[in-house]
Amino acid sequence: MAKLLIEARNIKKRYQMGEVIVYALRGVDFTLYEKELVVVLGPSGSGKSTLLNIIGGMDRASEGEFYFGDFHLHEASERQLTYYRRNEVGFIFQFYNLMPNLTAYENIDLSAQIAENPLDIDGLLEQVGLSERRDHFPSQLSGGEQQRVAIARGLAKNPRMLLCDEPTGSLDLASGIQVLKLLRDFCDDYQKTVVIITHNTEISKMADRVVYLKDGLVDKVEINDSPLSAEQVSW
Amino acid sequence: MHIRSLFYFIGEALKSIARNGWMSVASIAVVAITLLILGSFMVLNYNVTLITEDVKEQVQIVLYVDEEASGEDRLKLQQKLVGHPQMEEVRFVSRDEALERLKRQLGDRSYLVEGYEGEDNPLRDSYELRTKIPEDIAIVAGEIKEYPGVDYVDYGSGVVEPLFQFTGVVRWMGLIFMAGLAVTAVFLIAHTIRLTVYIRRKEIMIMKYVGATDWFIRWPFVFEGLILGFIGAVIPIIIIYYGYNTAVAWAQTNIYFVSLVSPEDIIEEMVKVLLPLGVILGVLGSSISVRRFLKV
Ligand SMILES: Nc1ncnc2c1ncn2[C@@H]1O[C@H](COP(=O)(O)OP(=O)(O)O)[C@@H](O)[C@H]1O
Repeated sequence: MAKLLIEARNIKKRYQMGEVIVYALRGVDFTLYEKELVVVLGPSGSGKSTLLNIIGGMDRASEGEFYFGDFHLHEASERQLTYYRRNEVGFIFQFYNLMPNLTAYENIDLSAQIAENPLDIDGLLEQVGLSERRDHFPSQLSGGEQQRVAIARGLAKNPRMLLCDEPTGSLDLASGIQVLKLLRDFCDDYQKTVVIITHNTEISKMADRVVYLKDGLVDKVEINDSPLSAEQVSW
Repeated sequence: MHIRSLFYFIGEALKSIARNGWMSVASIAVVAITLLILGSFMVLNYNVTLITEDVKEQVQIVLYVDEEASGEDRLKLQQKLVGHPQMEEVRFVSRDEALERLKRQLGDRSYLVEGYEGEDNPLRDSYELRTKIPEDIAIVAGEIKEYPGVDYVDYGSGVVEPLFQFTGVVRWMGLIFMAGLAVTAVFLIAHTIRLTVYIRRKEIMIMKYVGATDWFIRWPFVFEGLILGFIGAVIPIIIIYYGYNTAVAWAQTNIYFVSLVSPEDIIEEMVKVLLPLGVILGVLGSSISVRRFLKV
């Protein structure tokens, strides 16, 4: 049995929009185990990004309990949340979010600089196949290359989990597959937990577990005994 | 702060300045222009002050003693002058001394007053008086005119009063102008900061996702502002120094009777005032802009 990494119970998130209160999450139970690749699937507006931001310690739930080991994130201070993000979580976004003024190497270094046990940056660059692009700026890289830099950056601080928000959302099929393959490899080789949120059902075929989100609630959870490899996925 | 971090922050700041290109130039320009105008007014103000002080030094009342005055009256007059509460300096100039002076002033043509020594001296005994506060000169002159043994009193009215009025007006206008300038500068800088917002907000957001503490995010911006403000202050200092040197050189050949503040004193003042001001403006500007976007 895999070890529990995160356990969240009855997570609710409210947004006050003037007079109206919008519920992004209405009571989500969510668990994450070590070394698994989880896909959170749901239509847009179902609360996927909100959930990811709460898991990643960027946002706080309005209600609910949320444990990372003994660490109770719901009651954590700002500073504790910052440390949690710094050392335990790597984020990957649809639009890469690289610093435009920093080179590929420097972008990765930025995250390694502040982490407690960073990985070797040049080694990571080699693994994502971008050693040659080390000193290029994001604007000089293709979307797929930028996303691979972002993955290396997420991994550089040697976190327990990688949280990916539509990582292939703005990539062509080939680049998308390449990115998914990297995520699968890092999950297996580095024993990281990888969470991918997407509305693309194809991607869920390569997951160990699929969480279906609908209207701010978990619709169902499926365990996939024989996940496909990234190369077998297509859309 | 670790030394390693310090270098990291300064390095980040320098990189950001270089790579933000025209935004950095714009920020430097805003600070430089503001400080250039401020510095120019300071230079003007220093000189007006110096000239005013100079004139004040020279402002004096000359009191001519009545030729007919008795010894007793003369003694009383001296006592009253010395005892006057607003009097700074009382100097007696005897008619002999006055004649000597006149001879010296005439120089080559001193033969003109030849033979007027002793009993034939047409000049009168006088007092040269300076008041504690130069601006009081008219009032004091009016009072002592009534003393016994006074023939008449002369204090260059018609010159002194308008001059004091003029320098007063220049000062006030300078102050009002500087206040207006400060407000304009704040607007200009705030505007420049708003322009950097778009890029900055994304960068700060990324830093937060990466797990940087607020201070880690803030420091490079603070250093960036510091460096931009510093450069923005050095430029006007250099311009003012060379500009002022040229102005002084011109003044010395054309209006030599006016004494101006030396360029060395000016540069010292500029460094003391403009440099810290530039650095403060820069740091304040960048701190405010990050502060607003740390709360994303
Ligand atoms: N900052 C916010 N303020 C108000 N409403 C928000 C905010 N963030 C998200 N929401 C709302 O919460 C719901 C879920 O959003 P989100 O988590 O982004 O969904 P998804 O990622 O599945 O598209 C949406 O209806 C969205 O409008």
